[in-house]
Amino acid sequence: MNTRRSFLKTGLALGASAAVLPSLAQAVAVEQPSPAANAAAKDATKEKSVLVAVREGSRAAMLDKAMAELGGIGRFVKKGQLVVIKPNIGWNATPERGANTHPELVGAMVKLCRDAGAARVVVFDKTCDKWTDTYSRSGIEAAVKAAGGEMAPGNDESWYKDCEFPKGKILKSGKVHRLVLEADVFINMPVLKHHSGSLVTASMKNLMGVIWDRGFYHKASLHQCIADFVTFRAPDLNILDAYHPMFRHGPRGKTVEDVVEKRMLFASTDIVAIDAAGAKVLDREPTQVTHIGMAQELGLGVMDLSKVDIRRHSLA
Amino acid sequence: MSQHDDAHDHDQTPVHWHKHLRVVAALLLMAGLTAALVDFRELMPVRAGHWLASVQVVPALLALLSGALVPALILAGLLLATLVAGRIYCSVLCPLGILQDVVSRLARLFRQRRKPLPFAREQAWLRHGFVWGSVLAALAGWGTFALTLLDPYSNYGRFASTLFRPVLTWTNNQVVGLTEALGWTSVYRVDLPLPGLGALLFPAALLTLIVVLAALRGRLWCNTVCPVGTVLGWISKHAAFRIGIDSSSCTRCAQCIRSCKAQCIDLRAGQVDFSRCVACYNCVSVCDERGIGYKWSWGRRTGKGNTLAGTGNPATAGHAGGTTRITPAKTTGALTGNDSTSTGPRNPERRKLLRDSAHGLIAGSGLALLAREVRAQGSGTGTAEPTADAYPAEAPSPSTSSTVPGSQSAASTTTPPASPASAQAQPAPARPASLGVTPPGSRSVPRFLARCTACQLCVSACPKHVLQPALFEYGLKGFMKPRLDFTASFCDYDCRACAEACPDGAIDLLPIEEKQLEQIGLARFYEDRCIVKVKGTDCAACSEHCPTKAVETIPFGVNLRLPQVNESLCIGCGACQFACPVLPEKAIIVTGLQQHGLAVRTQEKPSAPAPKAPTGDFPF
Repeated sequence: MNTRRSFLKTGLALGASAAVLPSLAQAVAVEQPSPAANAAAKDATKEKSVLVAVREGSRAAMLDKAMAELGGIGRFVKKGQLVVIKPNIGWNATPERGANTHPELVGAMVKLCRDAGAARVVVFDKTCDKWTDTYSRSGIEAAVKAAGGEMAPGNDESWYKDCEFPKGKILKSGKVHRLVLEADVFINMPVLKHHSGSLVTASMKNLMGVIWDRGFYHKASLHQCIADFVTFRAPDLNILDAYHPMFRHGPRGKTVEDVVEKRMLFASTDIVAIDAAGAKVLDREPTQVTHIGMAQELGLGVMDLSKVDIRRHSLA
Repeated sequence: MSQHDDAHDHDQTPVHWHKHLRVVAALLLMAGLTAALVDFRELMPVRAGHWLASVQVVPALLALLSGALVPALILAGLLLATLVAGRIYCSVLCPLGILQDVVSRLARLFRQRRKPLPFAREQAWLRHGFVWGSVLAALAGWGTFALTLLDPYSNYGRFASTLFRPVLTWTNNQVVGLTEALGWTSVYRVDLPLPGLGALLFPAALLTLIVVLAALRGRLWCNTVCPVGTVLGWISKHAAFRIGIDSSSCTRCAQCIRSCKAQCIDLRAGQVDFSRCVACYNCVSVCDERGIGYKWSWGRRTGKGNTLAGTGNPATAGHAGGTTRITPAKTTGALTGNDSTSTGPRNPERRKLLRDSAHGLIAGSGLALLAREVRAQGSGTGTAEPTADAYPAEAPSPSTSSTVPGSQSAASTTTPPASPASAQAQPAPARPASLGVTPPGSRSVPRFLARCTACQLCVSACPKHVLQPALFEYGLKGFMKPRLDFTASFCDYDCRACAEACPDGAIDLLPIEEKQLEQIGLARFYEDRCIVKVKGTDCAACSEHCPTKAVETIPFGVNLRLPQVNESLCIGCGACQFACPVLPEKAIIVTGLQQHGLAVRTQEKPSAPAPKAPTGDFPF
């Protein structure tokens, strides 16, 4: 009795101090994903997943076509919202090398969101090379700013908050970039590449860039951790840049000779289906890419493309 | 003051422009050089810092000895300026000198009531001893090491880069919380890895010493320890324009002494020791009577002392040989402190000639010895001259794979199909390793150590912060010289900021294609520590980061990929080692090379012919 009362007292005191120091409380509190956040992923498992596949157009034109097919940008972005876009800005390389999402595509997406009334469109990645150089050399910083968006630091630990991933099998907790936690709309914009470790890098692998401690992935289990994170925060929309995917020497690449022009773009709310399509483009079976199967097992989407509603478009 | 004096004052306005020009020029140079050295945001163009450092005496000398042409012109200019107007280098260009001026100026604000620094005799033995010591060091092949410790520019570089830069970065990071709240994205946190404590201690101790000395005794360091100051003093003694005292005008008010930082004005003797004058012109600007001034004195052999000649003072004008002493000989005899025979010379002219010749001989032999030291390690700034074994025969093949064998069977079964039949070839001959890894463009560790004075300009310029001052990774000779620290970061494939910065000629500014082939070290893969093998899970962080694809993965086990190193492609950038998640001992480690090599240049073929027509349908 006595102990329970003191426990309650302590709890109240803690609660009060938390009210007094909201900023501290925010820093301490463990973030949970908003229920709406995973709606897209749940939809994907209930109804038939939709995958929009567009080819033979300019990047911006293919994006416009894909968004129209998905019901327009208005389905995702409402007036006054904070939109966070996570392209792949991993490497200090020029756009033609295909190591990063193409700036033209990122810029076009920022513009779509701004035109849809987004209050702010913020773009970031935790780069592998020096972030300031990489933002500028990738061309993404210029494209985003020109389209009315902002760039945010991804390589500053103070931007990351402790989170727990109760549904993860191996990745149970980690520090997540606060923009991902604050975002009303979280858009994942990877580039399709060969990867010397995970075989293919596309949508799910791209999300490693919103976590502070990537080393844990590599140490614990790369594929399982990649899949586990999606249980915490599935992107509201995935746009996969496959205009000139990198076929070898990925994910950094060596020269422009590593890319092959395919002129394709995929869009889906099903992160598993879109990565399965990406694997196919790189001449791999989705089953070969271990994290795709693991993600399906976690109920995050469908890897069997025959069970996906694929909407094909050619702009040629 | 009487009316007469007022009129006299009007007539004899002190000359200020020398000093004003000196102060403005010195502060501009100081600001520029300091900005380059503390620049944690890479806001300043690296080449700007390079050029500000290139006008420094010791860097220009070393760059000249390593075969560059521009430094020869710079050095000639500096020597000529000294011969014309005295130690302008010390007052306007030397950042350590300017730092001492700032300190002594600040110190003066706090001790106005205290009496001024009196004239002090030259500490000749000590002063010349440091030059002698440097020459002896050069005789033993340690000349650059001596310069590394004594060069005023390099010492200031270490203060600014190793001490001021982290403080500034820390301050920046404290402010970021505020600026982020205000929505300023132009200020952001910068992670600056600190060098080891040992590398901080040396500059910190020296900075303390120099600041204390400057506060108490002005430019004592420059006139006692600094070999650049001493050698320039040997020249400035003969300068065409020298500061001297005009005894006919001088009222012995001692204002000049009050303003002098070098303690080189001997009012009692009516002389200025111009070899110690750092050309600050403070004295000239405070003298209301024009009793001290800058005058044409070419050819006047005045030894250490100098009086203002040509002012019509009969006491000074008539002396033979242009000596302009106005004081009894015994006073001046005491002044010439390094002349051991106090009885006074029979032929002072001859003695001075002998002394000047001795100075010339010391400087000359020091130069020759230093040249030998610098040039012994490969010729100038030409192309790389790697040892023969640095050139692997031809196209890259995994035959030189440097996997440390853990399981022989795994290695043989996982040989990629592209590998030629020569996969059984013996491993590449061992090349002498170095604990410290020198920057690309430095060609070899000995060459680098013979040319670098550890000014830290490259360390400050390195955007990846992979360059850190060494402790004893290169041995004592390499103390404070930059090394690539792969626990802190790795070398950017497309960057050559260190070479752009280097004013010493220690890091060649190679065309980027050549820089991207210079093997500064070689990666070695320790299979038995690798996560893929130990845990049976994919990783490939190393090959992910490898810019040359010397580290690639090969199929392993059930749908896994194991790293493999192709040494002929490896340039030793350290990206693989930095990225490897295995701790405490990484599973892939780069070892520095004593003699840098050349990686094989690969001819990349397209992964697939680019389709001109529409690519056909989706593959699903």
